[in-house]
Amino acid sequence: MSTGLEPVDGDLEGSEADLASLIGDRALERDDHVNAPGFVIRPDDVQDVLFDLRDRAGFDYLSCVTAQQYEDRYESIYHLKKYDDPTQEVSVVVPTSTDNPVSQTAEPVYRAADWAERENFDLVGIDYEGHPDPRRILLPETWQGHPLSLDYNQEKPQMVTLAEHANPLKGDTKDTETDTMFLNIGPHHPATHGVLHVKAVLDGETVVDVDPDIGYLHRCEEQMCQQGTYRHQIMPYPDRWDYVSAGLLNEWAYARAVEDLADIEVPEYAQVIRTLGAELCRIAAHMLALGTFCLDVFGDFNAVFQYAFRDREVVQDILEDLTGQRLMFNYFRLGGVAWDLPEPREDFFEKTRDFLDGLPRKISEYEDLVVTNEIFQIRCVDTGILKPEVAKSYGATGPTARGSGIDMDLRRDDPYGYYENLDWDVITEDGMDNYSRVLVRMGEVEESAKIIEQCIDLLEDWPEDDREIQSNVPRTLKPDADTEVYRGVEAAKGELGIYIRSDGTDKPGRFKIRSPCFHNLSTLPVMTQGEYIADLIASLGSLDIVLGEVDR
Amino acid sequence: MSSAVSTLAPLQVGEPLLPERLGELTGLDQLGVGGELIAAFIGAFIVGNLMLAMTGVAGPWAKRKITAAFTDRYAVNRIGPFGLLIIVADAVRLLAKENIIPEDADRPAYDLAPIIVASSAMLGFAVIPMGSGIQLADPEVGLAYVFATAGIASIGLVMAGYASSNKYSMIGGLRAVAQNIAYEIPLVVTGLSVVIFAGTLQMSEIVAAQAETLITIGGLDIPMWYAFVNPFAFVLFVAANVAEIGRNPFDIPEAPTEIVAGYQTEYSSVYFVLIYLGEFLHIFLGGAIIATVFLGGPAGPGPAELGIVWFIVKIWAVFLFTQWLRSALPRVRIDQLIEIGWKGMLVLAFANLVLTALIVGLLEADADLTLTMLTVIFA
Amino acid sequence: MIGLLKSMATTMKHALDGNKFTVEYPEDTPDVSPRFRGVHKFSQERCIWCRQCENVCPNDTIQIVTDDKRNGEQYNLHIGQCIYCRLCEEVCPVDAILLTQNFEFTADTKHDFVYNKEQLKAVPWYKDIDPLESREPDRGAWIGEGDGEIDYQ
Repeated sequence: MSTGLEPVDGDLEGSEADLASLIGDRALERDDHVNAPGFVIRPDDVQDVLFDLRDRAGFDYLSCVTAQQYEDRYESIYHLKKYDDPTQEVSVVVPTSTDNPVSQTAEPVYRAADWAERENFDLVGIDYEGHPDPRRILLPETWQGHPLSLDYNQEKPQMVTLAEHANPLKGDTKDTETDTMFLNIGPHHPATHGVLHVKAVLDGETVVDVDPDIGYLHRCEEQMCQQGTYRHQIMPYPDRWDYVSAGLLNEWAYARAVEDLADIEVPEYAQVIRTLGAELCRIAAHMLALGTFCLDVFGDFNAVFQYAFRDREVVQDILEDLTGQRLMFNYFRLGGVAWDLPEPREDFFEKTRDFLDGLPRKISEYEDLVVTNEIFQIRCVDTGILKPEVAKSYGATGPTARGSGIDMDLRRDDPYGYYENLDWDVITEDGMDNYSRVLVRMGEVEESAKIIEQCIDLLEDWPEDDREIQSNVPRTLKPDADTEVYRGVEAAKGELGIYIRSDGTDKPGRFKIRSPCFHNLSTLPVMTQGEYIADLIASLGSLDIVLGEVDR
Repeated sequence: MSSAVSTLAPLQVGEPLLPERLGELTGLDQLGVGGELIAAFIGAFIVGNLMLAMTGVAGPWAKRKITAAFTDRYAVNRIGPFGLLIIVADAVRLLAKENIIPEDADRPAYDLAPIIVASSAMLGFAVIPMGSGIQLADPEVGLAYVFATAGIASIGLVMAGYASSNKYSMIGGLRAVAQNIAYEIPLVVTGLSVVIFAGTLQMSEIVAAQAETLITIGGLDIPMWYAFVNPFAFVLFVAANVAEIGRNPFDIPEAPTEIVAGYQTEYSSVYFVLIYLGEFLHIFLGGAIIATVFLGGPAGPGPAELGIVWFIVKIWAVFLFTQWLRSALPRVRIDQLIEIGWKGMLVLAFANLVLTALIVGLLEADADLTLTMLTVIFA
Repeated sequence: MIGLLKSMATTMKHALDGNKFTVEYPEDTPDVSPRFRGVHKFSQERCIWCRQCENVCPNDTIQIVTDDKRNGEQYNLHIGQCIYCRLCEEVCPVDAILLTQNFEFTADTKHDFVYNKEQLKAVPWYKDIDPLESREPDRGAWIGEGDGEIDYQ
C-alpha cells in the first residue's frame, strides 16, 4: 500500500502496519477489501478512529459511506482516501447489531458524512448517534421503512399521507416575527437542472439559508444493479446515472470495480478505445455544463447555450458511430468494449480529427463570449466561494474541487485505462469561485482533446493482428463470496465510485454508488450563504449537478 | 384619450396633426367638439393598431426569428410563408387558454395590472411624431409626457407583483420598481440634455431641430441628429432605456432562470397576452423615444411621405439591438444593477447634463459659432 | 467594455454568416450511424427458442411463450419499455433478433408498443441500412455460411 509519499499533516506513513498500530486496540479485527485495508471498529469509536486517521495519518477525504444489512448485523463502511494520493485507501468497518442499529456519526470529522449517513439511514436504516440532521434524504418524509434492509416488505404501502405521518402535538412553526422569507426553488424551476428542490430562506435578495431537498429522481439504481447479473445486465444502467452524455465515464466506474473484483484483464487496445470514448464523453458533458451554466447567468435567450449544444452534437455523432447510441451507450463490457472502431476506420479517424481541428476555434469563441465578457466576470468572480478545506471536508471532487485549487484527478493520481501513457495536464484554478469552475471545465475540454488526439494516433498505428477488444470473460461471472471492492474513476463531475460486495452468486450482494454530484451538491449551503439569489442560481449551475446521479 | 384632450386645446402651430387631418378628410370637424372627438378616436385607433400590429409581429414571430439567427437555427418556418402564420396560431392558442387566477390573488389589482402595463405604453405613442403626418398630439411638454406615461408601467408591475400572491412575483415586482426608479432618472436627465440643445420639450420641435445639417463629409450631409451631436448622451440613453424596458443585461425583473418569470409568473391566457404585449410596446416606445430624440424621428432619405417607414425602421433597429444584447450579454445582479444605476449612470447623466448646459450656454451668445464648435468638439 | 463588444461581435458574426444547424426533420432525415440501435427485427425462421435474450434482458422487455415441447409460440417485445442496450442481439447465437436503425415508431397507447413476432418481423429497415453491415465482420460470415446474400425478411 505504501507509495512512499509523505502524508500532509500527520506523523505516520500510510502503510498498513502504521495504520494498524495507529488504530491499535480499537480494531476488533481486520476486514480487508480488494484494494484497501479494512479495520473493524466498535460503533462508539467511530469519531475517535476517524479523527486519528484524518489528523495523524492524513486521510482527509471521506470518499464514500456504504451501509448494508447482513443476516446478523448492520454494517457501515467508511471509505477513506487522501486528496494528495488517492491510491492510499483505508476502509473503516462499523458493525452494529440488528436489533439496535445505532452507530456514532462521523459528521464532526468529515462534513461529507452528513448527507452520506442520512442516505444510509434512509435506505438501510442505521441510526447515527449525534447526527445533526437525522432526516430522510432520498425518500419522502412520509416513507415507511428502509427499502434496502432485509426485512423490508415490498408489498406494504410505502407512503402514508402527511397528515397521518405528522406529529399532531407539534406546534405550528410559522414565525410571524421573522423578517425572512421562505422560498421554494424547485422542484420545477427553470434553473434547477432537473427536479431539485432548494428550500431557501431569504432576507430580501440575500440568501440566509439553503437546504437542497433531493430524491425526486430516485430510481432505486442501486437496487436495480443488485438484481442484475455482473456480466451483462448492470452495464446498461450506469449510462442512466449521469445521463447527460457522460455515459462511458460512468460505465468505466462499474467496469473498473468489477474488473478489480473478479480480476479481469483488459486488453491494451480496448483500454485505448475506452480512453478515447471516455474523453469524448467528457467533452460532451463539459460542453453541456458550460451551456447550462451560461443559461443560468445569461438568461434564456443567450447564444452560448445553443453554440455549446451545437458543438456537443458533433461529439455525439462521433460517439454514435462508435457505440451505436447517442446517450445510453452500453458500450463497455467487462474486459473490454463491445465493438471495435467502426469500419471504415479512416472515416472515423477523419471525423474525429476534423472535430479536434475545429475545437480551438470554437474554444476561442467561447472565450470571447464568456470568459472575457466583463459582465460575466463581475457576475462570477468571487461568487460561490468554496474554500479548499471546506471542499475537502465535504468530499467535493472533479472540476468543483479543482476550481478550488485541489489538485486531484483520479486519471493521474490513481491511474486506470491508458491515461498514464499519455501526455496531458490536470487543470486547476485557485479562484475558488464560479468563474474558476468554468475555467477548469473549459481547460479540461482542451486537455481531453489532447488525449483523444494521442489515442487516435495510437489506434491508427495499432497492428492489425493485435486488435483484441475483449478479453475472455466467463459468460456467468461469479466472484468469490464476500469479496469487497470500492473503486472510483474520474467521471465528468468528479469521483464516481462503486462499492460492490459479492455474495457468491452472479449478482452483487451490495452495490453502492458514490455519486460525485451528491457530494458536490452538499456544498451548496456553504457556498451560497450570504450571497444573492442570482448567485445561488449561478453557484448551483457551476456545480454542474445531474439529478439522475444525485438521486440515483 | 390624451389626443382628445389636445385636440380640444390646439396649442400647436405648423403641420396639422392626424386627428385634425382626419377631421378635415371626413368632414367630421364640421360637427364641432363631438366630431373632433370622433376624429381623435379614429386617429388613436389607427396609431394604436399600427403599434399593436408591430408587437404582434415582433412577439410571436420576429423575436423567435431574430434569436434563431443569433443561435444558428431556423425557428418557426412551418406555418405559412416564413412561419408568419405562427402569429395567428399563437394568438388563437393564447386566447383559447384558460385564464387561471390564483386563489389568493388581490382581485382588482391583479386584473388591472396587465391593462396598466399595456396601456401605459400605448399612451406614450400619442405624442410621438411618426412622420408622414402621423402624430396624434403635440403638446409643449411632449417629452415629459412620454417619460411620465412610460413610468406608469412601474405601477402596473408592482401591482402584478404583489397581487399575484406569489413570492417570485413579489421579488420580480420589487426588482422592477427598484430598477425602474434607478434608471428612469438617468434616462430623464439624459433626455434633458437634448432639451437643452433643442430648447423645447415639444416632440415635433425636437425633430425639427435635428433636420439641419451638422457637417458635410464627402458630399454626404450628416444631419444634426443628437446621436451624432452628443454620442455620449446617446449611448447613455440607450443603456438606460435597455434597463427601463428590462432587457439583457438588465432583465432582472423577469430573470427566468432565477425567479421564474418575475411579476408575470402567475399570469395566463389573456392577461399574459396583455403583459406580453405591454412589454413589447414598451420596447417599441423606447425605440420611438430614441428615434425621436436622438435619431431625427422620421427623417431619412427620400420624400417626406416615407417618414413613417423610416420611423418604423428605426424602431425596429432598436428592437433588433435589444435582441442582440440578449444573445450576447449576461444579466447583472440586482445589487450591481442598482450600483450601476445610482453610482454610474446617474453621475454620468448629470455630468453630461452640466457639460451640455455649459457648452450650449457659452455658445448661446454666438449662434453661428455653435455649429462650428459642435462640429469641432463632437465630429 | 472590450469583452462585451467581443461577445456581441461573436453572436453577430453567427447571425450574419447564415449557417444553420437545424435539421429540418422530417424532410431532411438525419444520418443515422450504421451501429445505431433502433427497433428490433425478429426472424422466427432463425430463432431456436433458446430464451437467452429473454434471460439477459435487464428489464424484462422480452417475453417468450413455448409449448411443452419447447416449440416457440409467442415472441413478444415491449419496444416502449426497451432500453435499447442490444444485449439480446449480442447473446443471440443465431442472429434471430437484430436491432435495426429504425427509430421512427409511434403508437396511441403504450399497449400498442407490445410487438408480437409478426409485428417484429415487419419492422422495416431504416433507409435500407442493413445493420449486419456494421456488426463484427466474422459474425456475418458465420451466419451466411458461405452462401452470400443474407435475407432476414
